[in-house]
Amino acid sequence: MDKPKKQYETTFIVNASLDDSQIEGVISRVQEVVTRNGGTVTAINKWGRKRLAYSINKKTNGFYVNMELEAPGTMLTALDRAYQLDEMILRHLTILLDRKALAARQAAAVAAAAAAAAALNPPPEAAPVPTREPQATGTVTQS
Amino acid sequence: MFTPRKPRREKDQTPRKKRTCRFCDAKEIYIDYKDEKRLQRFIAEQGRIIPKRITGTCAKHQRQLVQAIKRARHLALLPFVSDTVR
Repeated sequence: MDKPKKQYETTFIVNASLDDSQIEGVISRVQEVVTRNGGTVTAINKWGRKRLAYSINKKTNGFYVNMELEAPGTMLTALDRAYQLDEMILRHLTILLDRKALAARQAAAVAAAAAAAAALNPPPEAAPVPTREPQATGTVTQS
Repeated sequence: MFTPRKPRREKDQTPRKKRTCRFCDAKEIYIDYKDEKRLQRFIAEQGRIIPKRITGTCAKHQRQLVQAIKRARHLALLPFVSDTVR
């Protein structure tokens, strides 16, 4: 309780072949791990199904979820373990938000608020869908 | 490309690209790994990270950039090796 909390950000990739309800279940499980270990989830951003840049466990698509957390450092080991035990999670990354990241986030929030004030409809910042079409170049053959 | 007044070594005669750091120009304080479209400009077609001597990124931002690219790669937002090479 008295442990100092820090701001973290975690992103994980859920198996995209699951139903939406099952994905929700995975997300809530992660959330529960965080709250059970004295943390709070401040934001959940679902990026949705995206094509992976390379296949992970023979899967080419994944459902990306990004979460912002505020938690003591002891939560990290629990979270990491939960990720590893969950077979539906293909990949995960948890980072500590440093001062620069927080400042940038604040600046972005201010800019977004200004944009929202300027126009009723702020430009939709949807998750960019990467269009990676394998371009056939003739110079790939190497001896 | 040959400039007779300033004879240079052959290495230096490659066409120079813009030498200003884009992140400094934009007064960027943090390079986000989630911004894969942005990061894509700093990786070669094969997927390699382009050295700062080519892109002109300053040392400070190049370090941040490298970290962001590596994080993005881990999350399969960017390729380690591009499909065209594989």
